[in-house]
Amino acid sequence: MSEALDLPLREQAAAIAAGEVDAAELLEATLGRIEERNPALNAVVETFPERSREMLAAAPPGPLHGVPVVIKDEWPLPWRAQRFGAADMIAAAEPGESGPYRALRDAGAVVVGVGNMHELGASSTGNVSVYGPARNPWNPERCPGGSSSGPAAAVAARLVAGAVGADGIGSIRYPAAYCGLTGLKPTFGRAAMAGHHMAELSTTIVSGALCADAADCRLLDSVLFGEQLAAGRPPALRIGVIRDEVSEDIAPTVREACEAAIEDLREATGGEVREIELPELAAATLATVLIANSESLGGITPQRLNQLDPELSPLGRGLLKYRVLLPAVATIKAGQLRTLARHTLAAVFEQVDVIAWPTVPAMAPPLEAPIVELPSGTLTADEANVRGGALANLTGIPAISVPVGSSEGLPIGLQLQAAWGRDELLLDAAEALEGANGRRWVEAVPPPARGAEPLEA
Amino acid sequence: MDAETSQDFIPAGLAALRIEADEIELAVMGAAHQLFWPPILELLSLDTSAIPVERNPDLSQAPPSR
Repeated sequence: MSEALDLPLREQAAAIAAGEVDAAELLEATLGRIEERNPALNAVVETFPERSREMLAAAPPGPLHGVPVVIKDEWPLPWRAQRFGAADMIAAAEPGESGPYRALRDAGAVVVGVGNMHELGASSTGNVSVYGPARNPWNPERCPGGSSSGPAAAVAARLVAGAVGADGIGSIRYPAAYCGLTGLKPTFGRAAMAGHHMAELSTTIVSGALCADAADCRLLDSVLFGEQLAAGRPPALRIGVIRDEVSEDIAPTVREACEAAIEDLREATGGEVREIELPELAAATLATVLIANSESLGGITPQRLNQLDPELSPLGRGLLKYRVLLPAVATIKAGQLRTLARHTLAAVFEQVDVIAWPTVPAMAPPLEAPIVELPSGTLTADEANVRGGALANLTGIPAISVPVGSSEGLPIGLQLQAAWGRDELLLDAAEALEGANGRRWVEAVPPPARGAEPLEA
Repeated sequence: MDAETSQDFIPAGLAALRIEADEIELAVMGAAHQLFWPPILELLSLDTSAIPVERNPDLSQAPPSR
């Protein structure tokens, strides 16, 4: 059964459908693997074997029939309220059928565990959580990325072959890059969001898949989208790149790997690389933070802020209180910048098919001190990462992170962004890139997934 | 941004909203203020009056042509 555990998501589904793998045995083996590998990673914060067995017993035929998956602690389940990685998630939470849960259930999948996440979804690192931090399977002293830290670490360590995350400002793409996975942030509104505690307020958050490669993401995202995401050979891609001060502020090893990958993608599709300009990019970062921030405070009162659970981290408490002080006019102006950025992007996507830049400007930083060294100096990982992650959430466009290299034993991710609704193009481009590099990076697995010595956390 | 701005802004804002904060929270807020306030001031100083309003933007699609 160990072989089946290591199969890609699509091959697990195919093997079950063909009767080559018994879904009940796969479920028990998955639970066993979580028990074995998870203590060093803290990727999965809760399993519920009886619920999972019940789910399997009732699983309808479907594209994921019998396949175990992990879901982020951002989504309620019928038997468990989400905690949002926090001792106090501010909003009300109750058990229930979230959109992603329903989509998984109706596809025949089996939710086998809940994935850890950064407290309140508030960071790109994953180093703070009410459950304790998840750890990066490539190096347990490094951040797995956030906020979908647990789903990413779970897939990277091959506890499961696919997981559902959420992305409000890069929260699928950052951990995908840090953990060497493929992660798609769908076009806003395309993937299931019902049941999210901010579904009615948020204009930035989407659900999405984290998997080893693009074909698995296509399968899991098709389930989350409720429609088949067709596969095809990408056209001769016009790849847009930006050469400005901020976009060039990238760690040299990351820059080299991403530039090589862009060239691979260009060559594989017979396309071309074009320099583009996005003058609003720097301001778009702040605009995204302001908009996401104000939306997350919809249910907050000063009285509530005076009654925060003392187990909420000091960082979380301080940031929540600071956020309510920010002037409303800044959020209004952020909305105007959003309009401007959307119009600029619409014009840019007349000239190019995809925009490419590193998902994050440096490899996974230490858990204890999530700072990164860039040509411009030392920055917090959040400050650096948001530069590349925010635009897609601000404007609604889809974006994907694809593993394209490694340095110091840590993965490097390239981000591709496309026009609204062209999620399929991103998956096609990611597959073309995988083909161009011989699938070297999507098939790379970290020590715990190679049967190496258990990690010492 | 100088340190004095944060020394004034944060306690005054908290007092106006009757929000309590301990020393650690104040330190976190001070650090956040140093990071966010300079670009917020830049944003506030932008003349955005010429930017058309996109009411209830449909973020699943490109904006309507201007």
